[in-house]
Amino acid sequence: MIVRLSFYPIFLREMLLFKRKLLKLGYIFSAMVIPIIYLLAFGFGLGRDISIHGSDYLTFLIPGLVAMSSMNNSYTWVASTLNLNRIYFKTFQIYVQAPIKASSIMIGEVLAGMSKGLFASLLIIIVGYLSSTAFKITPLFLAVLLINCFLFSSLGVIAGMITKSHEDTATYSNFFIIPMAFFSGTFFPIDKLPFFVKVVIYLFPLTHTNIAIRKMHIDFEGVLSIIILLVYAAAFFYYGSRLIQRYSE
Amino acid sequence: MIEISSVTKTYYQANNKKTIAVDNLSLKIPHGIIFGLLGPNGAGKTTIIKILTTLSKPDKGFCTIDGFNLYTHPIEIKKRIGVVPQENNLDRELSAWENLYIYGLLHKVGDLEKKVEESLKMVDLWDRKDSVVSHFSGGMQRRLLLARAMLPKPSILFLDEPTIGLDPQIRRQMWDIIRKTKIQGRTVVITTHYIEEAEALCDLIGILSKGRLVAVDTPDNLKSMVGRYVVDIIDEEGHLKQQIFKNREEAHEFASSLNNCSVTIRKSNLEDVFIKITGEKI
Repeated sequence: MIVRLSFYPIFLREMLLFKRKLLKLGYIFSAMVIPIIYLLAFGFGLGRDISIHGSDYLTFLIPGLVAMSSMNNSYTWVASTLNLNRIYFKTFQIYVQAPIKASSIMIGEVLAGMSKGLFASLLIIIVGYLSSTAFKITPLFLAVLLINCFLFSSLGVIAGMITKSHEDTATYSNFFIIPMAFFSGTFFPIDKLPFFVKVVIYLFPLTHTNIAIRKMHIDFEGVLSIIILLVYAAAFFYYGSRLIQRYSE
Repeated sequence: MIEISSVTKTYYQANNKKTIAVDNLSLKIPHGIIFGLLGPNGAGKTTIIKILTTLSKPDKGFCTIDGFNLYTHPIEIKKRIGVVPQENNLDRELSAWENLYIYGLLHKVGDLEKKVEESLKMVDLWDRKDSVVSHFSGGMQRRLLLARAMLPKPSILFLDEPTIGLDPQIRRQMWDIIRKTKIQGRTVVITTHYIEEAEALCDLIGILSKGRLVAVDTPDNLKSMVGRYVVDIIDEEGHLKQQIFKNREEAHEFASSLNNCSVTIRKSNLEDVFIKITGEKI
């Protein structure tokens, strides 16, 4: 049966390529290695005797690592492959010349990025379950994880469309993604930071993912963070679609 | 019918130096013919193809295909066109079958699996349908690009240097497929800098030089315009000079008057036309 949704061929293509990468052991290892290093270094090493908000550090750290890993993989895969496909392999041009809307291309790319982000998150979740008995997945956790993957995949499309060379994607990552990974509450709570630092940190979408993903029950702060994430996601998705629509060589 | 009206496209380099790739170009291509764009590298052939296939937006002017404006009805245009780009943009990590299947889904081709099979058989690649494209030779990849472009049965086919780098035998196979495409009632727009390819395939030829269209006519008329016969003269120092004449008698009379040099009389070709009109070599 042929699926007639316009975004499906783009998603299918990415998944076929992803499947081939998955079959190579190196991919799974590279997706896991950084979060596992953080887990070992901060969780089992540095955080052994630390307690945060009444629970052990590992229980605090694992949701943060899931958020960070989903951000990294959703963003990097989309930004990097889109940039390569547009500038070097020219396969993106096939989408532009197909009788489909820019929003369909955007949906296909974002869903593919989300799948890759969710896959990387799943690996961390498995490690989290094995290493901490207090780690739990709630419907809220899953909802925030999905929004986070959507948001950073959309940001990946923007980066993939505006960068002029493949090296530029690493520059964007160094300036935005890596600082976000370290200062958005992944490794330590941000509530004790100085006010002016907090103002900047609260602008980062990952900060709100880290706030919402750690909530066991929804409260005002959680709702506010989810609303902010949705606004970012909608803005990134809209801008990414516009960039695809205006594409011209 | 393809109509290009006063189209200009300029590219800006990093140092803000501008290059006019297409300069105030107007052209009408009737339906059901093979139209060749002939010109050296940098003449603007690929830019015109990119504009007509919605990849590039011109700075000035407009284009219509079958009455649809390229900028107000791009989806209608995209339903009608197939493209073989100059640069190979197949998915090298996917199989031949997967490449065509995904392209067919993008273009909403009905009865897709059967059509993919027909297309692969048309270019003699059915036996290799499950092979990853990166294992294909250059010729096989060009054939697969052609099969992919023709999969949705487009009414207009754009071929940007479709046989570049291919050996003569494969090139002739490609020509046969392109001729069949025309017989099926399609319009083919082809860019090439192979003279024999333009002569073998094209009903009408547009000669491009530095982004400008300097002549449009049938190959026969273009040759008549500049002269039917060429005298190639190799002088004592080994330099080649050429002289074009309207008829064989004039060429023969001129050749007889020459001494101490090697002389050949031959029919003119499109390269002679190009040199005569533009003063450049193709």
